[in-house]
Amino acid sequence: MVAVLGNNGSGKSTFLNVLSGQMDFTGDYRVGNRKFQEISQQECARRIGFLPQEAALNMPFDAFYVVLTGRFIHSDGRMYSEQDVIYTEKAMKTFDVFHLKDRLFNALSGGEKQRVLLARVMNMDTDIFLLDEPFSGIDILHQIKVVDIFKRLQREKIIMVVIHDLSFAIHHFSRFLFFREGLLLYDMGRNELDPEKLSDIFGVRVGFVEQNKRMFVYTEEI
Amino acid sequence: MRLILLAALLTAFIAAISAGAVKIDLFNMSEIERNIFLDVRLPRVVLAGLVGAALALSGVLFQYVMKNPLADSFTTGVSASSAMGAVIAIMLGLMPYIPLFALAGGLAGLCLVSRIASHRGRIQPITMLLAGIVLSTFASATISFMKFLSDDAVSSIIFWLMGGFQAATASKDMILFAVICLSFLMIRDDYLKLDILCFDDTTASSTGVDVNRLRKKLFFAAALLTAFSVGYAGIIGFVGLIIPHILRLGNFVKASYLLPASLIGGAAFMIATDLIARTILQEGQELPVGVITSSIGGVFFLYLLIKRRKELFYFN
Repeated sequence: MVAVLGNNGSGKSTFLNVLSGQMDFTGDYRVGNRKFQEISQQECARRIGFLPQEAALNMPFDAFYVVLTGRFIHSDGRMYSEQDVIYTEKAMKTFDVFHLKDRLFNALSGGEKQRVLLARVMNMDTDIFLLDEPFSGIDILHQIKVVDIFKRLQREKIIMVVIHDLSFAIHHFSRFLFFREGLLLYDMGRNELDPEKLSDIFGVRVGFVEQNKRMFVYTEEI
Repeated sequence: MRLILLAALLTAFIAAISAGAVKIDLFNMSEIERNIFLDVRLPRVVLAGLVGAALALSGVLFQYVMKNPLADSFTTGVSASSAMGAVIAIMLGLMPYIPLFALAGGLAGLCLVSRIASHRGRIQPITMLLAGIVLSTFASATISFMKFLSDDAVSSIIFWLMGGFQAATASKDMILFAVICLSFLMIRDDYLKLDILCFDDTTASSTGVDVNRLRKKLFFAAALLTAFSVGYAGIIGFVGLIIPHILRLGNFVKASYLLPASLIGGAAFMIATDLIARTILQEGQELPVGVITSSIGGVFFLYLLIKRRKELFYFN
């Protein structure tokens, strides 16, 4: 599990867009020892599940169908199979949105939509998940549930998440990428985090407080 | 729901072949009546149905491409540029080649519009609509200019522009039927992709759909359908707008339901409209069918803008 952090406009989303193949790039990028440029769009979709920051839907589909479309790359292209339906039910139950399955996607609340879209991405069943602000709009209860799902998956999958909540990230993630002004400044493990570097990255004073063996982060204006 | 649509189509068809300027007893026809029935009425009703189906389907396809419920062959300028092609054919006296000229005009217009609206290999829906409006205006102006230039062809141009099925023949029916089958075959394996195209482009392409390739294919199919409809029946507005919208309200939202339903619904609607157009006036006089669809369509367009603003907003 990798957390991607940085202020607005620091290049986090651009980074994820490039990694997911949504944006052209120069340089060397390899997936599983192969040059990314050599990987077809279909194979890319089979390997990388991408949740963009803002998703939109302009047809009145129900939530179940929205999640089902995540299975497209595994279907024969003409029809979804029984198997796809079973996967979809499972994904919806995992993200606690199964009770919303018959509701129109566009009529759901922001947090519910986000959870449905998370279920949709997970339904792609890829090895790599790139999630741009997956926690936005989700209530605290479900944030914890969602991050627990990520933790269960992390043994088999690479999960890279753009996140703004520093305390939450430090508590749950083990590797951190910090962006500032379009540059990847640091790639650090949890033990390497230090308040001075963080203060420099975010432009605020960052301090750590330890209580009950748990690290808390406080921030204030410089 | 599909059964209701089929029943509507069947009812419209039966009503349309039994009513007309000349009363015909279907089960007991004289020689003249049989000629009227087989050479005039039946081809006309079939052409109306086929044109309705083609226009409704092309409307749906344009709406998928542009992610906008206001898109159809009219608003993208494809109708008008097809018409421009057809009017050139009329002016040159090449009546049998009208559909080909319409296709050339339509494709040229579509290429121009999609070229203008493409940015880094992606089509921008809003720019596309704007370019469509400009193209429509330009094509109308050109048509007016051509009318001004040619005195002898002007009445046939005006007559043809109003839209109608008077000139139906069995061979036109067959060609249009083949065109519809061809377009439908082109896209029948893409239902799931069409549904995914309703998401934003990033979501769609990261799900594994080649968005730009699919769009080009849809464009071509839609232009083909529009050009042949315009070539055979003139400009008949708004069918591609009204029918898909009503169907979506009737819960035909997945492409696998919406596309076949738009064929049937478009056909039923157009047969019924043509029936009204040729029977509402006394003594065998006819109202141009385009007048009826455009007036219904205009009111419907206003209704969309006023009552369903929220939904329009969702589409962006």
